[in-house]
Amino acid sequence: MATLKVEHIYKNFGGVKAIQDFSIEANPGQIHGIIGPNGAGKTTIFNVISGIYPADEGSVYLDGKDVTRMEQHRITLEGMGRTFQNIRLFKGLSVLDNVMCAFDPQSKYGVPGSLLPLGKRFAEEKRGRDICMNFLKMVGLEDYAKERPENMSYGHQRRLEIARALTCRPKVLLLDEPAAGLNPVEVGELTELIQRLSKDIGFVILLIEHRLELVMNISQFIHVQNFGKTIAVGTPAQVRSNPEVIEAYLGKEGG
Amino acid sequence: MQIVQYLINGIALGSVYALISTGFSVIFNVLKFSNFSHGALMTLSAFIGYFIAAANGWGLVPTILVAVVAGSLIALLGEFVAFRRILIRNTSPIYFFVSSITLGTLYEGLVVLKVGANFHNYPRFFGKPIKWAGIVISQSDLIILCISAVALIVLAFIIQKTRIGRALRSVSFDRDTASLMGINVTRTIQFAFIVSGALAGLAGVFLGINYTLYPSLGSLVVKGFIASVIGGLGSLPGAVIGAMLLGIVETGLISIVGSGYMPVFTFVIMLVFLLVRPRGIAGSNIQEKA
Repeated sequence: MATLKVEHIYKNFGGVKAIQDFSIEANPGQIHGIIGPNGAGKTTIFNVISGIYPADEGSVYLDGKDVTRMEQHRITLEGMGRTFQNIRLFKGLSVLDNVMCAFDPQSKYGVPGSLLPLGKRFAEEKRGRDICMNFLKMVGLEDYAKERPENMSYGHQRRLEIARALTCRPKVLLLDEPAAGLNPVEVGELTELIQRLSKDIGFVILLIEHRLELVMNISQFIHVQNFGKTIAVGTPAQVRSNPEVIEAYLGKEGG
Repeated sequence: MQIVQYLINGIALGSVYALISTGFSVIFNVLKFSNFSHGALMTLSAFIGYFIAAANGWGLVPTILVAVVAGSLIALLGEFVAFRRILIRNTSPIYFFVSSITLGTLYEGLVVLKVGANFHNYPRFFGKPIKWAGIVISQSDLIILCISAVALIVLAFIIQKTRIGRALRSVSFDRDTASLMGINVTRTIQFAFIVSGALAGLAGVFLGINYTLYPSLGSLVVKGFIASVIGGLGSLPGAVIGAMLLGIVETGLISIVGSGYMPVFTFVIMLVFLLVRPRGIAGSNIQEKA
């Protein structure tokens, strides 16, 4: 069974058909790119998969388990991590605390441990800090643990979102336009980071991205969306030569 | 010495205001609305403490425990009855206001049903005032101050250093994102209500000790509102600082203009303060949510 299996999902907002019959099957270690013009429903696909909206029709399976109508936080605990197109870090919390928030649901002390200073709390807090520092190190932010996210550069904020998503221990990582607003050097570093994570951790990565060179370089499969419909699926090479894709999307760029 | 005496009295008064304003701010922080049922919850739990514990001859600590547990449980129930649906449907915050006012009226109505408009007195829990170097401190002030300080320090520690505290802070910044990081938002909000209810119970007993028990005792919650606005809505340290300032200013005003004019001057000072610094002393992160 595939790690992530999305079967024929539909989502309408009033008269707007944001997703019409989207399916995907992804296995560990794979990177799937989702491309398409603005308003093609790409982020809506992520929102349905991660449980922000329920799908009107269709199902989402994570490791064989139906998560379609689970509560958001349950889906995350089942192994779904994500980042956001418009960065959504907890301002006012330190960089480390931002990541710790994602560790806390895995922490093994509860309300009594929070109210009373028991030994288990300190042990778990330490374990959490070590794990979180490790993930911060993985994205190269270990020196910024005490900073506030709003004081960091855009590129660092994007990396912090990735570290926070990694701390959720995802089987599937959803990256929503991780390169938006980055300069060419940062895009290069990000590409390298995503490839490294995919190889080291071996989870499924779904990637929404407007920078074609980035998506085409690192994805094994590309899904092209237009007006809520999937107009092509295949390897980057197959997609590049698909006439419908060239007309709808690539054609505009190539002239 | 006179100044020191005012400061001590002011801080003792302010510590009760601080319990009110933090209990109120915890909810404001998480749900971004002013919980107008907070005052009536203080009255209700203070009366429950009176009837279950104090009236049966139990001492101060059991009375406080009963009131705190009652406050937490009622707040938890109130969250489920009055706020849960509004929260799930993500409708306008105005419904929170209406719901909280209704809930407060209900609490106060329950108290009136039981006690009518009568005044009740907690038994004398305390001995003679302590005199030292020309300063007089009543034992009740001293004990109220100590218990409030411990409660607030424990709360600060929970919020800064534990997973539940981090969950509260992340939910108050962005509920949806917190949920997508695996945080159980409903649980976290329930916890906020339990904390707020416990603080309401504690403050209710202390107000009852200071001013006797009567059904509209909860209207003193206005002092908590003022303190949290002065401190910056939603900021917990701000709520404590605002409460201490308010306590000291009120004590000072009583000696300058008398207790009759004191409320008038207090409100004038607050209005001037709001004109000069509308976001309060520590208020900063609220604007971004608007």
